Amino acid sequence: MKKAIFFPILVNFILVAAAFQLIMPTPSWSAQKKNTSVIRGVVASQYGMVSDARVRIAGSKDFTLTDINGRYTLETPLFSSRAIKITAGKDGWFNNSVNALPGNQNANIMLFPIPGKDNPNYRFISPAVCARCHNTLAKYWDKSKMAHTTSNVKVLNMFNGTDATGRVLSGPGYKIDNPDKDGNCVSCHAPSAAVTQGGARDIERALWSPKTEWDGISCDYCHKIRKVTKTSDTPSLFKSHLKRQTPLKGNSILVFGPYDDVVNTVMSASYSPGFDKGSFCAACHSQIKKSDNKESWNRKQVYTDAEWQSFDIGDDSVIPVQTTYQEWKTWQDGLPADDTNKGKRCQDCHMSWRKEMLPYDNYVIEGHARDMWGTKRDPQNIRPHHFDGGTQIQLKTALSMEIEGQINDNILDVNVFITNTNGGHWIPTGDPMRNVMLVLSATDSDGKALKKIKGEELPTWTGVGKIEEGNYAGLPGKMFSKVLKDKKGNINVPFWNAAEVAADTRIRPKTTVKLKYQFKIENLNDEPTAEAKLIYRPFMKSLAKVKKWENNDILITETAW
Amino acid sequence: MNSKRMLILGLIFLTMTSVHAFALDLSGNVKAQGLRKQDNILVYLTKTPDLTTPPQEAFVLDQNNLTFLPHILVIPKGSTVSFPNNDKVDHNVFSLSRTKKFNFGSYKPGESQTVTFDKPGIVELRCDLHSEMISYILVMKNSFFALTDKKGNFILDVAGLEPGKYFLKTWHEKLKNSKMPIELPAAAGKKLTINLKRGAPGVLYK
Ligand SMILES: [Cu+2]
Repeated sequence: MKKAIFFPILVNFILVAAAFQLIMPTPSWSAQKKNTSVIRGVVASQYGMVSDARVRIAGSKDFTLTDINGRYTLETPLFSSRAIKITAGKDGWFNNSVNALPGNQNANIMLFPIPGKDNPNYRFISPAVCARCHNTLAKYWDKSKMAHTTSNVKVLNMFNGTDATGRVLSGPGYKIDNPDKDGNCVSCHAPSAAVTQGGARDIERALWSPKTEWDGISCDYCHKIRKVTKTSDTPSLFKSHLKRQTPLKGNSILVFGPYDDVVNTVMSASYSPGFDKGSFCAACHSQIKKSDNKESWNRKQVYTDAEWQSFDIGDDSVIPVQTTYQEWKTWQDGLPADDTNKGKRCQDCHMSWRKEMLPYDNYVIEGHARDMWGTKRDPQNIRPHHFDGGTQIQLKTALSMEIEGQINDNILDVNVFITNTNGGHWIPTGDPMRNVMLVLSATDSDGKALKKIKGEELPTWTGVGKIEEGNYAGLPGKMFSKVLKDKKGNINVPFWNAAEVAADTRIRPKTTVKLKYQFKIENLNDEPTAEAKLIYRPFMKSLAKVKKWENNDILITETAW
Repeated sequence: MNSKRMLILGLIFLTMTSVHAFALDLSGNVKAQGLRKQDNILVYLTKTPDLTTPPQEAFVLDQNNLTFLPHILVIPKGSTVSFPNNDKVDHNVFSLSRTKKFNFGSYKPGESQTVTFDKPGIVELRCDLHSEMISYILVMKNSFFALTDKKGNFILDVAGLEPGKYFLKTWHEKLKNSKMPIELPAAAGKKLTINLKRGAPGVLYK
């Protein structure tokens, strides 16, 4: 009670003191350009002046930082018929704003700290609520791979050991091998259930739990993440720290995000720089398994020392299951400072504009809400939430392929060049069940296959049987994948049974893999052709067969010589 | 035999030569299976002499509304292309094609870059930030090429070519290449028909 009375007095005192400071002329005064004016003020809090706060005209691309005394100066047009909204934000504080006319020398902004504690009993808000204002944004999210991750049939099949028809004991199942454990699926597939007091640790139960507010990785979950840090006690080696609170001011929703200029009565927004960093994604796009009894495996046969050290996941007893974040970081760390790709983050590609979203103006917030609280924002500062990955459009940009041929007597030499043009991580990435395959054929002008003399073939596990049904075993080609092996020597085992990585032939960012083949020409007067197809297979054939999952192969690109 | 008659004869002669010049075009129609529009199919001649003088024309590959324009740009080798960003967001145009590798990095609306393409072949153009952005620069050995219009029609100027045997070939990103032997000048003036199938596109020059 005592504090509550004292607080406004302190605030008043600070703001008056700040205003006084501003009366003093500053050197930048004379530097002001013609036809422009300035707005000045201070950013303060109950504890004093706030330095290094980001201040801008709401929606504009440029911002300024407050000085050590909390002071800022912003250039504005000379005249404005309406007050200009000046916003301030800083990591750890709620954003706030003030409306001021050009020339105002006392446009002071008060910042309030975010709550210190996390509330594990907090009930997450349904995305349906967010969709009331962020209609388009939510629509794209709902179509994305972030949504409906809890009810994902393939995840549940892998957890329960069922197949697509629900038949039990069909292929691998976490619960078959670990009947007494809950596993870790929920950490990423149902994160809000996983962190809620009394929520579920078993994904099957999470799906039906009344404590699960929504199926998947919801808006409110990600936007409650205060920061992501390194740790040693999660399977990803990263931890998301949440701050779940209903803010003091009314019923507004506490949201963390990359904006320092969102200030409205519905959301209590707080600028959080972590949203623009690759590490934000690390809590889920990274997964290791510690081998039983700290046994080491021969990682040198798969990864270079440089790669392994850059992964930074531990000693040789650690089995990397998913290293998407580490692959990106390894690539970025290895680039010289002046490289054009330096600084590219996950968000740049997986949260980028799509043509169908144009015009740029209508994406973030629309309708009535837009008129009330919308900020006209530079499209450069907007991150659409489609989270594309493993889709045709994303794959087609990630990989490209070229082919060249040459005839020497009765030998046809074919070289295929496959390039990871646009992936900031290795391709394929994510779960090791994902494959990319080159399928090559050389034929004479009648369409008869030429006999291969030299070059790799596709392994048995690409499927034995009809080619039209996606069985490519024995054909000239190349498999790009990570292969997990168990103690008995079985390959392509689920991660929980893995004892080592047997091979990792995935394509590193911006690198080209050259594959050489030779075929025998029977008729020297004939003109042979060679055709290469690059195919993405979201889960290997052998697994799809036992799980009765339909063939979801995607033809990425094809080319001929 | 007065001057009037001379003039008429002269006019007839002129008309005849211009008719002859017109016949120095190869024209025809391309029918592509399973394509909604029949435009942007490259029709070109091989076994033709390489270009010896550097091309003069200035080429532009624009970026606007998350799209490269045109989608297919065909240029004779040695041409320089500028890549202005006329959009509202940054773009990062690059190519990792073996014909020509370059990477501009992200650049802002209003800025532009240029590249000279000295080797014939296919250049697949990408933007690092927007996965839908894709276009092709087809670098040709000479100027004997044409693109089809929406109805699949093409007119290929063959002026300056010696009489002889050539190959008429096609390229499109979604179609199998085709190859047809033709003889000049016999083929000029006839309406050619080319049928194309969907499938893996091939290289420009085998
Ligand atoms: Cu772009």
